[in-house]
Amino acid sequence: MFNYTFQWKQVYARLPEMLEGALVTMQIAVLSMVIGIVLAVMLTLFRLSGNRILGGVAQAWVEVARNTPALFQIYMAHFGVASFGIHFSPWTSLLIGITFNNAGYLAENFRGALKAIPDTQARSGRSLGMSELQAFRHIVLPQMLRIAFLPMSNQMVWAVLMTSLGVTVGMNTDLYGVTQDLNALTFRTFELFFVAGVIFYAIVKLIQLATRLIAWRMFRY
Amino acid sequence: MESSHMDSNTRQGEEKDMKISTLTIAAVSATALTGPAFADKLDDIIASGTLRCAVVLDFPPMGSRDENNEPQGFDVDYCNDLAAALGVEAEVVETTFPERIPALVSGQVDVAVASTSDTLERAKTVGFTIPYYAFENAVVANEGVEMSSWEDLQGKTVGATAGTYEAIWLEGKIDEWGEGEFRPYQNQADVFLALSQGQLDATVSTVEVAEANVASGNYDGIKIVDKAPMVPDYVGLITLRGEYGLIDYMNLFINQQVRTGRYAELYEKWVGEGEPADLTIQGVYR
Repeated sequence: MFNYTFQWKQVYARLPEMLEGALVTMQIAVLSMVIGIVLAVMLTLFRLSGNRILGGVAQAWVEVARNTPALFQIYMAHFGVASFGIHFSPWTSLLIGITFNNAGYLAENFRGALKAIPDTQARSGRSLGMSELQAFRHIVLPQMLRIAFLPMSNQMVWAVLMTSLGVTVGMNTDLYGVTQDLNALTFRTFELFFVAGVIFYAIVKLIQLATRLIAWRMFRY
Repeated sequence: MESSHMDSNTRQGEEKDMKISTLTIAAVSATALTGPAFADKLDDIIASGTLRCAVVLDFPPMGSRDENNEPQGFDVDYCNDLAAALGVEAEVVETTFPERIPALVSGQVDVAVASTSDTLERAKTVGFTIPYYAFENAVVANEGVEMSSWEDLQGKTVGATAGTYEAIWLEGKIDEWGEGEFRPYQNQADVFLALSQGQLDATVSTVEVAEANVASGNYDGIKIVDKAPMVPDYVGLITLRGEYGLIDYMNLFINQQVRTGRYAELYEKWVGEGEPADLTIQGVYR
């Protein structure tokens, strides 16, 4: 095995910096989910609209988001758009990249959830005098979000893990970025990344626990 | 041994002694045939016939790839020279700057010939040789940015290659000034891409890299502004911290490279005309 002595003290001294990085990671993940859900609902409406152009836009978005690596999407949000003179900071590029990815996957989740809702639901809403949008807003959307809730929590986990790709666009304030920085300083690669891995694991477990609690609280019949 | 039983059991005792000495002879000769039980890395390299070097191939003129995709550069030649001195084959293993250490510690490479700056913080983890090269650093800026000296870095958006000495220095300066922004990119190419796109106002890189990139014409709109006021960035070869035999050997090797003129020869081949940096420090032994 390793011809190497592990030095944990050196890493514990840096733990506050890493935990600060974990907060930035959480912040980006949460923001990307909130914006991602709004965008995904929008894409779902585009697809339901029957309008060729809007439907095409939504379809293209979902295709690119789901069928290319997240790394590519984040890289494009930084270096790609910069060749057109648009400059985003690493933080913004990372947020845009992950949000784009989230919206694409969530739109597919929503499409699946919609299939599970009988047409009669929307039609009975309409028969009560609701407009098409009202029926969607009050009858279909709540059911859709409920069915898609657990897949959404899955995407949230992905969002947290995807923040680690931020280093490719110069991000150094998130958990992974901070870890890379400390690694360059001290060369304590194994200890640092082990601790980063544990923190990532804890964050994800926390998210899973939270979704369980929310689901238990909200979806009682 | 067994003195109290010697009288009554002389024969037995003699027999036993003989047995032990036979065993000892057998053990000693076996050891002599199979080699010492505690072979160090230097022995392992000589025995295996291959020296595996981690080299960063994204760092011209120290390491890059030629048109046939073969590794080339100062560090590649240095690895080949070291292998030739040891009488073994050289094997270049490409790593990025942050990957040097995992490659070394997990035993994928024997040494890293990868322009590794010899900071005291790092020397707690890996073993450094004496310096084999020394860099000076230059400030390179986007042409659209008004800059006349390195002090104009203050308040700018700057970046450098993650894991390098200049990145550590630059991030420290940004912290010290309390304004501006620092971004570490994962490789040299991304830094210069971001600089040429105007995402970064300026970067600090070794004079060698700066000149090579400005001359290459691959990156539009960049200019060298000034030298960066750092202590020369001395770099050493690295291996595992406890491999004294190998470190000693490499120290002598570096000394011989300079004394035989090979250091100056490699400098001229990869960097250009002029004097290579002095690797000694006035007023102290090592």
